[in-house]
Amino acid sequence: MMAQVDLTVEICGMSGDGTIAAGGILNEAMSRAGLFVLAFDSYPAEIRGFGRCVTHSRVGDREMRALSDRTHVLISLDDKESQSRIPFLAREAVVFFDSKPPSYVEEGASIAAHVEPDARLFGMPFSELAAAASGSTRGRNLTALGGFAAVFGIPSRTFHEVIEKKFKAKGEKVLDANLKSFDAGHRFALERLKVEQIPPIPPLVKGGREDLPLVKGGREDLPLEKAGMGEPVYPPLEKGGREDFLEEAEEKILISGNEAVVRGALDAGLALYFGYPITPATPIMESLAKALPDRGGRVVQMEDEIASIGAVLGSFFAGKRAMTATSGPGFALMTELITHGVMSETPAVIINAQRGGPATGLPSKTEQSDLHAAVFGGPGDSARIVIAPTDVRECYDFTLMSFQLAERYQTPVIVLTDFFLNNRVEKVEIPGASEARRANWNLYPEESAKGRYERYSITESGISPRAIPGAEGFLFSATGLEHTEKGRPDYSSDIHSKMTEKRHRKIRGALKDLPEPVEWSSGGTMDVGVIAWGSTFGSALEAVLSGQKEGMQVGALKITSLFPYHAEAIRAFMKRCKEILIPELNYEGQLANLIGHLHAKDVVRLNRTTGMPMSPTLIYERIKSLI
Amino acid sequence: MAEEHFVVVGNGPAGHQAAVTLKEKAPDAYVSVISRSRGSCYRPHLLPDFMAGKIPETALYVCPTDAYKDKGVKLRTGQKVVGLNLRERSVALDHKEIVRFTGLIIAAGGKPRIPEPLWIFRDLMLTLKTLEDAKAWREKLSRVDSVLIMGGDLTSFAVTRSLLDLNKKVFFMLDREAFWPLRCDRVMLEEAAHRLSQRGVEVIVDRRVKSMARVSDLACEVQLNGDRVRAGLIGAFFGLVPDIRFLVGSGLRIDRGILVDEYLNAGYEGVFATGDCAQIYHPEIRDYWVSIGHDNAVSLGRTAALNLLGGSVMVEAAQESIFEVQGIRVNTSWWMDY
Repeated sequence: MMAQVDLTVEICGMSGDGTIAAGGILNEAMSRAGLFVLAFDSYPAEIRGFGRCVTHSRVGDREMRALSDRTHVLISLDDKESQSRIPFLAREAVVFFDSKPPSYVEEGASIAAHVEPDARLFGMPFSELAAAASGSTRGRNLTALGGFAAVFGIPSRTFHEVIEKKFKAKGEKVLDANLKSFDAGHRFALERLKVEQIPPIPPLVKGGREDLPLVKGGREDLPLEKAGMGEPVYPPLEKGGREDFLEEAEEKILISGNEAVVRGALDAGLALYFGYPITPATPIMESLAKALPDRGGRVVQMEDEIASIGAVLGSFFAGKRAMTATSGPGFALMTELITHGVMSETPAVIINAQRGGPATGLPSKTEQSDLHAAVFGGPGDSARIVIAPTDVRECYDFTLMSFQLAERYQTPVIVLTDFFLNNRVEKVEIPGASEARRANWNLYPEESAKGRYERYSITESGISPRAIPGAEGFLFSATGLEHTEKGRPDYSSDIHSKMTEKRHRKIRGALKDLPEPVEWSSGGTMDVGVIAWGSTFGSALEAVLSGQKEGMQVGALKITSLFPYHAEAIRAFMKRCKEILIPELNYEGQLANLIGHLHAKDVVRLNRTTGMPMSPTLIYERIKSLI
Repeated sequence: MAEEHFVVVGNGPAGHQAAVTLKEKAPDAYVSVISRSRGSCYRPHLLPDFMAGKIPETALYVCPTDAYKDKGVKLRTGQKVVGLNLRERSVALDHKEIVRFTGLIIAAGGKPRIPEPLWIFRDLMLTLKTLEDAKAWREKLSRVDSVLIMGGDLTSFAVTRSLLDLNKKVFFMLDREAFWPLRCDRVMLEEAAHRLSQRGVEVIVDRRVKSMARVSDLACEVQLNGDRVRAGLIGAFFGLVPDIRFLVGSGLRIDRGILVDEYLNAGYEGVFATGDCAQIYHPEIRDYWVSIGHDNAVSLGRTAALNLLGGSVMVEAAQESIFEVQGIRVNTSWWMDY
């Protein structure tokens, strides 16, 4: 059996405490140390100054699909804010906190007053150590990381590499201050481990605590198999287990959903990006602004989202791959022009990074409440393609794929991500795009059509050969008005009926190129089948796998093609399940609304609008209640 | 403060009993227990059995930590009190948090006593005061065949018994510090040596430690005057001393422990001391005495709580059960039980 390491670390502080930066360093270091990482930051909508920031990092020796419900390590950079994290602490959680605030505080101001008695408090004078080491308290977040590295046996050199990478560009002084702050925390924690003979925690990385001096007759580094904690959070590593996965993990990189979208777009040969900043999609534009010009492309910040989608349609119309990324409020502004793309059969790629809504809603919280808007939003019968990745790797794959889909089916393709997916980082393999995956899928007209070209010719597939403007002999007009096969406006009943049917036939035909549902079950009939989409699928799968381990007859179905969707495959799965459970991060159950009719009886909805990712435990408990 | 806040410092048998009694008798009061060690209250006299693997860890605990919550007692573990301000009626914790109280019971317990001549060798010797100590013993015992017991307090005999049960070779060094806190005389020494020898213990008498060293991972060597002993582990059992350094300068009267009257009051309204750290006045013998042993601690904890709530319960100790040791009078119910 493989060894099991499954540890969730949270860093909590106030805006300006360096919480998110510390989380990023932690994730990168853990990844370099050979562990898998799935991480997510939650922070206030405002740029800086106030509000709680929390980084959630789940690290383990195997791939993970969701955040854990329980936190095993809490690093508190602000005790007042961190108190909100206490209900999520696992038993015997380790809590790092500043043991020497600038002045005495009244009872209750310290996190120590609130933790449960089983918690392992590890007080460190973050500010004092950082100030003594670097002349400033700004590095206290790094001091805290130093403590973490010492207690959990992550080699300090691993953190050094990451800190150097992060701060090198800011000059030697800044880099030096951060390294010194880290080292001060590391030294302090080692010393405390030694002096106070704190019960050992097995190193997360084999040999990671080799720099811990043994204490004569005192605390010694126990053999791993002897050093268990109360809860099997850090079970002993088995010989050979870690090495195996290290080899496997070497080809993987730590990357966020947003970065994966960017990589997908770049590998697809994106030529033009038009956008307007909005959380959580802004990092896509920021990254592309740096990377795209080097590849001969351009990033243009437009005056708003309407202009952005207009420019994307214009680019594709002219034969250039283009993309925009936005979130709910921006997507709402794009609606009319998206339907223009549907009517004029013009490709477009739109990333909708969902956040809490409606309206400006909850800019920095996650939700899956734009499904209806993505599938049905806009006037008229405007069928378009909607796909939704469920993890970071799929953010890459689906973005890459979206350009070919848009070209072949001459329609806007909406890639529906969500805040959790966009911002979380995962250690994944990004293979790079083959020629086939980059290939232009546009169906060009035959040379023989020259001079008698009909841009919207009615075909069996519904796909009309699309000429790029400027091609000699392939003159056509395109319009948002209903039109004839030649593209001339026509409002007759006959034309509208024919053309509406053609456009829908075309979109239905896209199913053959869209990812099919993927099932996780042992086959046969099931007591409960869980169907999920987007980032919630990871939580659903964790819940289902837990249930299967316990002998439950349960299965999970991943749906990534939301429109059109594979009705027959979904129906076949549903038929084998006594109950269908659909967990979603929206109030009504928008996927349930979309596909619920495929089931013989009412599907069971599990809906949450907390702004946080779906809890695997919640799904698991609901499954249990249905059996 | 609108409501009563009773703070108990220490979560040993006395502190735990004090807190439970306070909550039981004053259910509306806020009761906090502050303990430097982690986990729930456990029975220290069972540590030798745990050390020998005779009982599981769970059998040590008086109750699970959740039980404190269930009873309405706030348990703060792993947190150290570093100061007492009687004027402000507050205690300071080492992470610079001030906890204010309307009533205080100090049940800080004791810590292992290492005689001055052996102090420099303290890192080479194991003690058995806490659960962590017991875990360390348990882990190390699996790797050694022999143990040298130094001192001779009551715990040492229980430990010796456990070691023999584990088929370990036991050396027992009896000297003038043996039988702490009882006075050791020649008759007692000989009697103890005889009994220990009968059970297979190698008794070393009238020897003084000259030096001590770890010669390998699995062996320590003790140089005595005229002799030399090599053993896998060395245990130090010289009794306990009250753990009340944090009270120095607080205004409380301190001798060997915190000086309290027969009602366990420390001389300030609403401030009590109990358990191993209290030095209690006995009106009949007109002197102070200290108490050791689990049962005494529980009884004292309850008494302190009742008196903090306005009672006037006098600590009971029969004169004949109080011994005088090095100028200190000691009530040793545990010894009597043993």
